[in-house]
Amino acid sequence: MTGYDVAIESLPMQAVIDLKGEAAALAGWCGDVLPQFPARPNSLTRASGRALLHIGPGHWLLCADLADEDSLIAALRPDAAPPQVSVVPVSDSLAHFAVTGPDAAEVMAVATPLDLHPTVFAEDAASFTEAFGLRALVRRHPGGFALSVDRSFAPMILQALSLSAG
Amino acid sequence: MGGNGWRLAEGGRIDRSRPLRFRFDGRDHVGFHGDTLASALLANGVRLSARSFKYHRPRGIMGAGVEEPATLVHLAGELASGNRPATTLRLSDGLEAWPVNAWPSARLDIGAVNQMIARLIPAGFYYKTFKWPDWHLYEPAIRRAAGLAPAPATPPDGAWEARHAHADILIAGAGPAGLMAALVAGRAGARVILADEGIEAGGSLLTRRLSIAGAPALDWVTAAVAELAALPNVMHLQDAAVWACREHNLVMVEERAPSRPAILGRSWRVRAGRVITATGAIERLMVFEGNDQPGVMLASAAQAYVNRWAVRPGRRAVVFTNNDSAYAAAADLARAGVEVAAIVDSRDPVPEHARAASAGLPVLAGHVVRSTQGGRALRAVTVAPLAGGGARRIDCDLLAVSGGWSPAVHLYSQSRAPIAWDDRLAAFLPAGPAGPVAAAGAADGALELGVALADGAAKARAALADLGFAPPDAALPEAEDLPYGITPLWTVPGAGAKAFLDIQNDVTVADIELALREGYSSIEHVKRYTTGGMGLDQGKTGNVNIIGAVAERLGKTPGEVGVTTFRPPWTPVEFGAIAGRRSGPVVLPYRHTPLTDWHMDQGAVIYEAGARWRRPGYYPRLGEAFQDTVNREARTVREGVGIYDGAPLGKYEIKGRDAARFLDWIYTNVFSSLTVGNGRYGLMLTDDGLILDDGVSFRLAEDRFVMSTSTGNADAVGQHMEKLLQIERPDWQVMITNVTSQWANATICGPKARAVLQAMGTDIDMSPAAFPFMSVRDGRVAGLPARVARVSFTGELSFEVNVRPRDLPALWAAAMTAGAPFGITPIGSEANHVLRVEKGFLSLGHEVDGTADPHDLGMSWVMAAAKPDFIGKRSVDLRRASGRPRRELVGFRPLDPDRQVPEGAPLTPGGRTEATEGFVTACVWSVVEGRWLGLALLQDGRARIGTRAHVRLPGGVIEVELCPPVFHDPKGERLRS
Repeated sequence: MTGYDVAIESLPMQAVIDLKGEAAALAGWCGDVLPQFPARPNSLTRASGRALLHIGPGHWLLCADLADEDSLIAALRPDAAPPQVSVVPVSDSLAHFAVTGPDAAEVMAVATPLDLHPTVFAEDAASFTEAFGLRALVRRHPGGFALSVDRSFAPMILQALSLSAG
Repeated sequence: MGGNGWRLAEGGRIDRSRPLRFRFDGRDHVGFHGDTLASALLANGVRLSARSFKYHRPRGIMGAGVEEPATLVHLAGELASGNRPATTLRLSDGLEAWPVNAWPSARLDIGAVNQMIARLIPAGFYYKTFKWPDWHLYEPAIRRAAGLAPAPATPPDGAWEARHAHADILIAGAGPAGLMAALVAGRAGARVILADEGIEAGGSLLTRRLSIAGAPALDWVTAAVAELAALPNVMHLQDAAVWACREHNLVMVEERAPSRPAILGRSWRVRAGRVITATGAIERLMVFEGNDQPGVMLASAAQAYVNRWAVRPGRRAVVFTNNDSAYAAAADLARAGVEVAAIVDSRDPVPEHARAASAGLPVLAGHVVRSTQGGRALRAVTVAPLAGGGARRIDCDLLAVSGGWSPAVHLYSQSRAPIAWDDRLAAFLPAGPAGPVAAAGAADGALELGVALADGAAKARAALADLGFAPPDAALPEAEDLPYGITPLWTVPGAGAKAFLDIQNDVTVADIELALREGYSSIEHVKRYTTGGMGLDQGKTGNVNIIGAVAERLGKTPGEVGVTTFRPPWTPVEFGAIAGRRSGPVVLPYRHTPLTDWHMDQGAVIYEAGARWRRPGYYPRLGEAFQDTVNREARTVREGVGIYDGAPLGKYEIKGRDAARFLDWIYTNVFSSLTVGNGRYGLMLTDDGLILDDGVSFRLAEDRFVMSTSTGNADAVGQHMEKLLQIERPDWQVMITNVTSQWANATICGPKARAVLQAMGTDIDMSPAAFPFMSVRDGRVAGLPARVARVSFTGELSFEVNVRPRDLPALWAAAMTAGAPFGITPIGSEANHVLRVEKGFLSLGHEVDGTADPHDLGMSWVMAAAKPDFIGKRSVDLRRASGRPRRELVGFRPLDPDRQVPEGAPLTPGGRTEATEGFVTACVWSVVEGRWLGLALLQDGRARIGTRAHVRLPGGVIEVELCPPVFHDPKGERLRS
C-alpha cells in the first residue's frame, strides 16, 4: 500500500448543460440563467449555486446541483434554442469524483498530466485533460480536486484512483 | 587497512558501524552501509564477477557507475530484478545477487566453452550460418543463449508508480555543474526539478579529491544540497535517472528508491520549460589485446573506489592513459597504498602539469600496454614503446586505463539537438544554438571543475532569461583542477581478436575490421553488423572508441564517420516503473453500462465488444451450452420478443444552421430532405472512399439531428466530424455534442415488441401508421421520459427506447415485468450477431474491414448520384473507373450444413494453395434455416452467386455454395411491420 493521505469519493450526479455557440448568442438566449461568462478559457465563474466553465472555443458547461436540473432545462429550453446556439443536457454523461486530503496533488499527479500547481491551476481553473488515459474534466474542490469523466468509465476510474491512493 | 587488506581502515563515504551481509554468486560476504554491490565485492577481494555475453570470457568490475559494461547481476528474493549493473546497486542487508550470464557461477561457467570456438563465431556469424533450412529452427536456442537475466518469476511485493510533473527548468545531474545550475535557478524562484541518478549528489566530486572555495569540494556539495532542500520551489530527486529527453521537453525520470516505502520505483514524466543536461562525462577504455581481463578497470573507477568507498582495487597497479586525467587517479591510488608500478602514457612528451600531479610516480612516455597476462585475474601487462621496440613485462593486479573522456551528450542528442566532433577534446560535443535543451559542465565539454561550475551557472541564467525570470547575482566559487589534454590513441598497434571495443557485447577490433571488409562502412551499419553499442550499457565506454577505430581504418576523422543515434533509455529502466499503476485490472480502460451489474447478476458472460465496453455476450442458463444459449436467444427474437442493452451505441447531437448540409457532406446519401421526426440510414466514407461507419440519423428539428454510430467507431466518428469542421469547414455553423452517455437504450425487438411497449405503458401512438419504421418519437414509456426510435439491426420489428442512463434500470425492469407474459428474454451480442447475419446487415469490423466501399457491399443505392459531392465520392469514382475486380459481399452455405466455417478464413480458387480471393466475414448457426451459413467478401462475388467457392483451412477445404447475402425476410416486411 502506498498509503497516500487522501480520500477518494464518488460525488453525486450534477446537473450539467453543454452550451455551444458565440458567447453573445448564448448570453442572449440564456439570459440571467448563467453566471457571468468567464474572462479566460479553462476557468469558471460561479453564481447562485451554478458554475459556468469555459472549456473550449465557443464551448461552456453549466453545472449545478441535480435538483436544479429541471429548472435549468425549463429556463434554457434546449429544444427551442435558435440555430446559432446548442443547448444539450448532459448530466448523465459525467461521473464526478473528489480527491481530497493532504496528498491529493500526489494522487492527481498519477492520474493526470495537467499542471495543477497553484500558480498555474488557480482556484477558478477548470480544464479538460486526460486522466488514466481518458478524457477528464478537472476542477478544484474543497480540500483537493474534482475529477469528472464519461460516466461509463466511472468504475474503472474509481478503481484506478483507489489503486493510486493505496 | 581492513582485515582482508582491500578495505582501507579509514576514509570513504561508508558507515563502518553498519555492516551489511550479502550473497554473491553463491558466496557470503559483508559490506558496509554506503557501499554499492561493486565496491563491496572489491572490498571482499572478488575480482571475477561476471562472464561476457558471447564468449563467456571472465570479467570483473570495470566502472564505478552507469558506464559499467561488465558486471550485470540479477537479484533474488524480495528485490528480484534483472540486468542491474553492480556499480549502481545500493548494497542492502540480505541482498542476494547472481551474475547474469554465467551458469552455474561466474567461477565455473559452462558457457566458457565458447572461448574455444571464438574464432568460429565472429560478428555476424549467425546471419550467415543459421539460414538453412530455416532460421526459426535455431531462433529459440539462440534467443535463450543470448538472453540476459530472467524476468522475476513472481511480482514484487509492492507497487510501481508513474506520475506527471512540471517544471520551469529540469536539470539532469547533480554534479558540480548541475548543482550550480540548480542553485542559480532555484534562487531565482523558478520551479526546478533536479534529478540525479547517483545514490548521493556530487557526481565526480564524490570520487575526486578537489576543493571549492578553499575547502573540500564535498563541503560545497553538502551546503548546496541543504540550500536546495530549503527552497520550496526546488524538487531534488536523488537516485533518479533521467533516461529520456523527448519532444517538447518531455523528460522521463526513474526514481529508484522513493521515500515512500511501499513504492518500489517511480517513473516521472516531466514537462519542463527548459532542460539542462549536466550529465557529466564518461571515461573511455584503452583498446589492446586482453583489455577485458578482471583487474582492468577505468582509471576514474579505480580512483572512485579508493576515494569514495575506501577500497583498494588492487595491490600493484599500472596506469595506462593517453590523457592527463589519469595522473590524478594514479596519485590517489598511491595515496591509498596501492603501489603504482608505472604510468604508461602513449603520449610523448607528457605535459609537465600531469607529471606534477603524480609526483614521484614512474612515467613511461610514448609507451603502450600491448597485452595482459592472467586468466581469471590480472597478473601482468606487456608494455612496449608505441613507436615499436622491445617489450617488457610489468607484474600488477590492477590496470587502470583512461582512453579519454566522452561528454555524456546522450540526453542532449535525444532532444534532437546537434553534436559535433571536437579535435581538442577528441570527443563529440553539443553544437547546437541556444535552445530549450542545453548541456552544462562536463556534458558540454567543460572537463575542468571551475569551468564546469561557470558553465552550469551560465546555462541556468540563460534558461531563466528565456523564461522571464531575473537571474540572481551571485559570485561563482573558485575551484582548481588539473588541466585536461589528450592525444587520442584509438587502438594500440596489434589490437585484434581479443581487443574489445564494446565490452558488454563482446565486440572486438577484429569484428570491426571484418565489418569494414564486408562493406559495412557506415557507422550505423557497423553498429548493426557487430552489435557494438547495442548492449544495456548503450556502449557508454566503447562507442567513441568504435568510431575512432573505424575512422582510423577508413582514413577519416571521427567527425566524418559520425555517430549513431542516441536513443532512450540512457540507463536500463524497470518496466514496472514505466507502467506504474496501469496494470492488472486497470491495464486497459473499461466501460460499464448502467445495466452491467444486472447482466452479471443474471450470469451473463461479459466481454469487451468495442470501444472498451463490457457487454453481455450471452446469458447461459444452467446446463446450457454456448450454442444452445445463442440459438435460444436468437429464436426468441425471431418468434417472440427479446431485449438488448444498447447503451453503448454511439450518439451525437448535431445542431446548427448548416447541420443538414453537413450530414449531406459526410454521408453518401441525402439527409437534408428528411422531415422532422424521421430518420435515414447512412454510410460515411473516408477520403479514400472506403466505409468509415454506418448509422441512422433522425431529424429532431430543422436545424437539429441526432446521429447514431457504431459502438466501436463512436470516438473515431466524433474526431472525424470535428476535424472536418475545424479544418475544412470552419465557416459552417455546426455544433456537435457527444450524447453517447446521455442517452442509454433498451432495444426491444421481435414480433411481440409493440405489445410489450404497450404493456409497459406509453403515451406514444405505437400503431404502424402513426409510428412507422425509421421514425422517432418523444414521449413517456413506463412513466419515464423517453425517445423511441423505430430502427432494426435484427430484421425484426424493433424499438430503441432511449432514456437517461439514470432511468435505464427502471425502464429495463419495467420491460422485463411487462414483457414476462410475452416471454421476453435478454439477448446478448452473440445472438445479435446471428440475427444481423441472417438479415445481411453489415457490421463494422466484419464486412467493413477498411477496404470495402458501398458498391462492394451491394449498397450502390446509398450512393446519391444527384449530390455534387460528399466525402469519399471522388475516390470511389476513381477506383470504379479503373474497372479492376473487387471483393464483393456474398452469402454462402457450406455444402455440409453442419460444418462451421471460421470467421476470417480465406477463400482460394478451388481451395488450392494460391493467393486468396476473399475471406469469410461471418459464419453463424442460423435459427431460421437450421444450419450454418455466412457472409464473405469474394473477388467478383456477385457475379459468382449460384456457383461454389472454397474455404482453405490448415485441416482441409470446405466447399460452400454462394448465394445472395440476405437469408431472412429479404423484402423487409417484418422490420416494417
